Amino acid sequence: MINMDVFHGFLQAIHQLPQMARPEPMDDAQRLERAKAVMRAKTDRGLALDLEACVNCGYCSEACHFFQGTQDPKYSPSRKLDLLRRLHARERSAFAPLKRLFVADITVDDLREWQELVYDSCTECGRCSMVCPMGVNTAHGVNVMREALFEAGLAPLELLAVAQEQAGRGTVFGVGPAELMQCVQSLRSRGIAVPLDEPQADVMLVTTVIDVLLYHDAFAAMARILNHLGVRWTLRSAGFEAANFGLLSGSESLQKAATRRLVDEALAIGARVVILPECGHAYPALRWEGRLSDGSPLPFEVFAASEFVGREIQAGRLALQPPADPGRKITYHDACKLARHGGVMDEPRAALRALGMDLRETTPTAEQNWCCGGGAGAFLINRAEGLRHKAWTIKREQVDATGAETVAVSCGSCRLNFMAGAEADAWPTSIESVVELVARQLPDGQA
Amino acid sequence: MDFLDWVRGPLLALSLIVFVGGVSWRLWALWRLPAAGAGAPERQHFGRGAALQAALTRMVPKGGFHPSATLVTINPYVFHIGIAVVFLGYAPHIAFIRRLTGLHWPALPDGVMYVAAGASIVSLLLALLFRLTDPVLRRISRADDTITWTLTFLPFLTGMAVIGESSELILARDHPVYRGPLAVHLLSLELLLVWFPFGKLMHAFLVLPARMQLAGFFGRRGVRS
Repeated sequence: MINMDVFHGFLQAIHQLPQMARPEPMDDAQRLERAKAVMRAKTDRGLALDLEACVNCGYCSEACHFFQGTQDPKYSPSRKLDLLRRLHARERSAFAPLKRLFVADITVDDLREWQELVYDSCTECGRCSMVCPMGVNTAHGVNVMREALFEAGLAPLELLAVAQEQAGRGTVFGVGPAELMQCVQSLRSRGIAVPLDEPQADVMLVTTVIDVLLYHDAFAAMARILNHLGVRWTLRSAGFEAANFGLLSGSESLQKAATRRLVDEALAIGARVVILPECGHAYPALRWEGRLSDGSPLPFEVFAASEFVGREIQAGRLALQPPADPGRKITYHDACKLARHGGVMDEPRAALRALGMDLRETTPTAEQNWCCGGGAGAFLINRAEGLRHKAWTIKREQVDATGAETVAVSCGSCRLNFMAGAEADAWPTSIESVVELVARQLPDGQA
Repeated sequence: MDFLDWVRGPLLALSLIVFVGGVSWRLWALWRLPAAGAGAPERQHFGRGAALQAALTRMVPKGGFHPSATLVTINPYVFHIGIAVVFLGYAPHIAFIRRLTGLHWPALPDGVMYVAAGASIVSLLLALLFRLTDPVLRRISRADDTITWTLTFLPFLTGMAVIGESSELILARDHPVYRGPLAVHLLSLELLLVWFPFGKLMHAFLVLPARMQLAGFFGRRGVRS
């Protein structure tokens, strides 16, 4: 059961975040120069090709939940890359000396305007790339813009505060090893074995602040599934946090530091597999962008929780009991970072099919699914609440069209955004976690 | 040496030099930039062949997107196909290419060219209408869009002045009758060639690399794009 007081307390804590941020003082000239330095350094061949290939057709707007939710053309995805495009045209494109005569230089006011465009109104969901006739990877360019704005001291204060906390104290929302221990003891008091800080293990389970604070049942579900499978696993208190606020805020150094904590712990215990919790962005951060310090690939496999569970079911190693309510109509929301940017689409569905309920697909679905509007840190930006809700409305209507009574999600940020939207709209559909649904039907007598 | 001689001679040579040199320079300027490092181990093998296939199938419009895009989606197919039919299928154009390169192929009937040209003109006018009236396109449009549209439309407009006779009759003569209009028509093509490397017409050369790059990004993660 979710403690709604904790949920509301979490929302309150988000409102306090700006007061905790410590922005670095700098003048406008410094901001501009630092942003430009990042934009120059990050415009490699791939990004330059994207910037030059865009034909300004505007199709990307058709795929963007922020444009569709508001009909405001300023949110057109292609426009979000304009500052990168202008800098590239003026400085490094084939005809840069000519372009400088016609293309205006970027200003610090442009950077300030772009804060809303690349943080509040883009979840880097990548749906626009699916429809782009030229194949432009807009989300990648937006991520580069976030890095530029972070270096210019122009990241939203909420994301800056959490990124600074994670880089400094190593905690997120005040959750550190002591809070993890409390959560572990709470699960143990329910009779769930939770190995912590074992010196050697085949599998390292990673959790996240939101599971430790709010979604205890998702945490418990993964522990029970691993115990049921007889896996030699452990949590590590020195590297348990999957959320990567370096990635979300746009700080590459903080992103690498947060990744390094997990990698070091996995290496220390000789883990062959690292399982990430139901946290969308944690997956690409470690699975697709994680490296050893020398740049070589990670020597262990990385799975998202729903991916791991689905694979075990597909392999026949995990069988479930029949459901208490086989007629229950259920649908699945693909988190963008897991599905479109992660490739995790078949496994969560395999897990949900194994439940034996009436599984329905949304239209569109999988790699074309609509984003819920809360990803990439957007859920933490207070001023974006109204915008987020407009984007969420598309998601809500998409789920409603399936007739499902339950929507299963496999990302804590999506789940938070669904809960906030449901509360605002008095939406009756129940919001569940994939691993919790699976754990309820485990044949271990603890359902 | 009259206007047509100038347009057919030095100006044509100059425009071709700008076109070939400009396109080559622009491609080289892109490819000289550093490439991203190797990515994480792929979920499934996704080679260049698969990327090319994904790039080619991207020509088929995706389902699942907003229905308002339907007309806007169909329109570019009309003018892209129309331009290809008119430029490559009309007998006098093939004769022009043959004089330049020695390459030639069978022409399409004049009637097909007339239909294709008419459809392309209507389609280009619709594209302009969308750009001037659609709030998104108004917001994101740049000078490049206006210049490119104008220089793409001009060869169609000027071509109308030189199709008073069948291509058989036109090609049967030793010398063109309408020297002035033909010179203007050829000049409009030369303007298009000169502008080509500087604006978004370059998408003709960038479309496959850009699509293949995205297909590779998604494909190695096991995502159908």
